[in-house]
Amino acid sequence: MTKIQQVLWELRMDYIGHPYYVSGNAILHALGQHLAPETHAELSASHGMFVPGQYGTFPDEHSQSGSRPYLGSGLPDVVAYDDLFLHREASHPWLLDIRARDALNTQDLRIHGGHPTLCHETIMGRRDEQWKQFETTKWYVHAYLHADDPTVLPLGEDVLEDLQFGGKRNYGYGEVELKETQLIELGELDYSRLKGAETYLIELVTPFVLESEYHLVNGCTVPWWWAENREDLRFREEKILEQREVYRLQTVDHGQVVTYLGDHPIETAKNGLLRVGSHSRYGFGELRVKPLGEQKYRSEKN
Amino acid sequence: MSDVMLAAYRHDAHKFTGESHNDAREMFAGVRVNQSVPDGADGDAAALSRPQQKQEQTVPNHDNHYRLSLLSGETAYNPDYFTRSTIEGTVSDLIATKDAVTAHQRWLSSDVAAALNESVYHPYTSLKYHTLLVGALLDNYRAGNDFDTLRLVVDPAGEIVPFRTVFDGDRFGLRIDADPSRRPAARLGSRPWRSWASTWNRLTAHPLDTDGDKYDMTLDANLRRTLSWSTALQYIEDYADWRPDR
Repeated sequence: MTKIQQVLWELRMDYIGHPYYVSGNAILHALGQHLAPETHAELSASHGMFVPGQYGTFPDEHSQSGSRPYLGSGLPDVVAYDDLFLHREASHPWLLDIRARDALNTQDLRIHGGHPTLCHETIMGRRDEQWKQFETTKWYVHAYLHADDPTVLPLGEDVLEDLQFGGKRNYGYGEVELKETQLIELGELDYSRLKGAETYLIELVTPFVLESEYHLVNGCTVPWWWAENREDLRFREEKILEQREVYRLQTVDHGQVVTYLGDHPIETAKNGLLRVGSHSRYGFGELRVKPLGEQKYRSEKN
Repeated sequence: MSDVMLAAYRHDAHKFTGESHNDAREMFAGVRVNQSVPDGADGDAAALSRPQQKQEQTVPNHDNHYRLSLLSGETAYNPDYFTRSTIEGTVSDLIATKDAVTAHQRWLSSDVAAALNESVYHPYTSLKYHTLLVGALLDNYRAGNDFDTLRLVVDPAGEIVPFRTVFDGDRFGLRIDADPSRRPAARLGSRPWRSWASTWNRLTAHPLDTDGDKYDMTLDANLRRTLSWSTALQYIEDYADWRPDR
């Protein structure tokens, strides 16, 4: 049985670093300062997604429904596969349309020493005459851990507290505080929504690594179970930092959607949670399987 | 042909003059304004940028037609700039020109249209980019290109396709068209909805240096979070003006 540990951190200070996400590599490095080397060696970390601490309404594919005030600032229960992805899509479709959702979901920027810096909170309405009505939205970082040795998890709250991500840490940037964590047994989740569809899509939640200078991975091909080939896909170079050296990775950029050609969508979905391809330990290769034609499920839920 | 396209660039003149849709005048600077746009192009463009089901104030303290900046949070209201003479001069250049191709080009480079939102309920939207989207959809529909054949296409800077270019920047242009001309492109989907992030995410190449340029990556990250088309296009324009490294 495979467990994952979801972690939600609250950004306490502005962040200078990778603007798409806190990389799994950065999360592992931060945890390494609190863990014995043999424990640390067992761990894999997902990329940490930025989440606005806002009201929201559960998306259709979620096992729960209705609105919640804490949807961005807490970890709702997870009973089904799709529940795992609530916080892992940059456009955060759960945000309410009755609020200025694009303003709440884009990060305010400052400049520090020539670097673009992500603000740890968004303040709206402050400059207006009715200044007392201003609203502050905090940013959170959502990630999950898993371990080859299942006894390593859950990591204690003391280990997850008081971490820093990104650059300029000596100046206090990137400080986070643990907000919530929960352990999830992947084998006990409901994957039934992935049964019986004619067509499945695969969303690249994080980049898929094709080539790497670090492990000398070369000539990795686009998986045969994707309908798209190299000409159809967008690439992006990534970097990872190991022992103070920067290594370059060639990736299929995240956010793209490909058509699934395989016959085992549930197995693919489970593999995609623990990530596929090179550097999966550092957050790369996270995939989400989506069935096409969801009407049946929706009517059952309503 | 030209008259029909001009309707697109004149359909929201009442937002400059501060009139409500229902009380809007019929003439401005000697031309007919505030007429409805054919083929549903106005409604479809609106659906690309703001929720359609109910109209509610999304920002409690803001109920006027000046746009709020996604970048700074500030209102575009500037009492020194928005005088009666500005409206009569700059806006009539935009609205009253008799040539539709010229109107399109003026909208592409307009600052005054960028200062207004397309709906007081959604102050982060941009009247400038809403209008350019209306024009691009209308021109496509009139050429027989149904919505489900349309794509977002990335063009080199300065290459303006009449009516179909919706963004003209120093580094690249963006166009709505059925034919991608072997340029990076992504389909808009089967119906108009707030699909900016979804479409941007599926482009076959991004016109930004997302391999290593921190300012480009930060722009890209926020574009992947934005649903509204007019808000996103305005953000690209504002970001180019704001970034200190170029």
